Amino acid sequence: MFGPFRLTSPLSGGLLWKMPWRLSRHQKYRHRERLRRVDDIISTLDMALAKQGLSTKKLEVWKKDMPTEAEMLPRDKYTIFDRKVKRYRKGIHKLPKWTRLSQRINPPGF
Amino acid sequence: MAYFRITLMRSAIGLPAQRKGVLAALGLRKRMATVYHPVTPDVAGQIMAVKELLDVAEVETALTKAQMKEQRRPERGYVVERRAGAVLE
Repeated sequence: MFGPFRLTSPLSGGLLWKMPWRLSRHQKYRHRERLRRVDDIISTLDMALAKQGLSTKKLEVWKKDMPTEAEMLPRDKYTIFDRKVKRYRKGIHKLPKWTRLSQRINPPGF
Repeated sequence: MAYFRITLMRSAIGLPAQRKGVLAALGLRKRMATVYHPVTPDVAGQIMAVKELLDVAEVETALTKAQMKEQRRPERGYVVERRAGAVLE
């Protein structure tokens, strides 16, 4: 039960990676930075195209649907809807590739 | 003519082939690579597809590879900050 050869789940089961259930404040900080970086790119594209009187559908749809980092609720910033989880929310870091995705909106009412 | 200066900040390893294809189409092969593309809706759409991986700025002129390398080159020679004699006096 104790000592160097105790039976723990990583020792007996091979590969086991544990993921904390919530983000650390430094993870949250870096996540906000990433969100803001995407917001900056959107505004850069918008301004550059607007100077020539142009736009593109993807950009318009994004601006209509997606909240900016400042407009987002902490709930949507750091958690994501999951129907299998109790109370329907899990940490956004449970989403595969979460640092390279834009996951900003969740089903209404959840 | 205005250009987008596009730099690949995050790698697309493990992302869908579709997004890797967009990077290839933009001419971004590895991280920290920079390319210039004219400001058009087409290029803006490509940037939108992989915006989480990029750094984008609008610039007036496009630089060639040689010019970008020249910008990174440090100044030649050295600068004398102070002389030993002045310190001893």
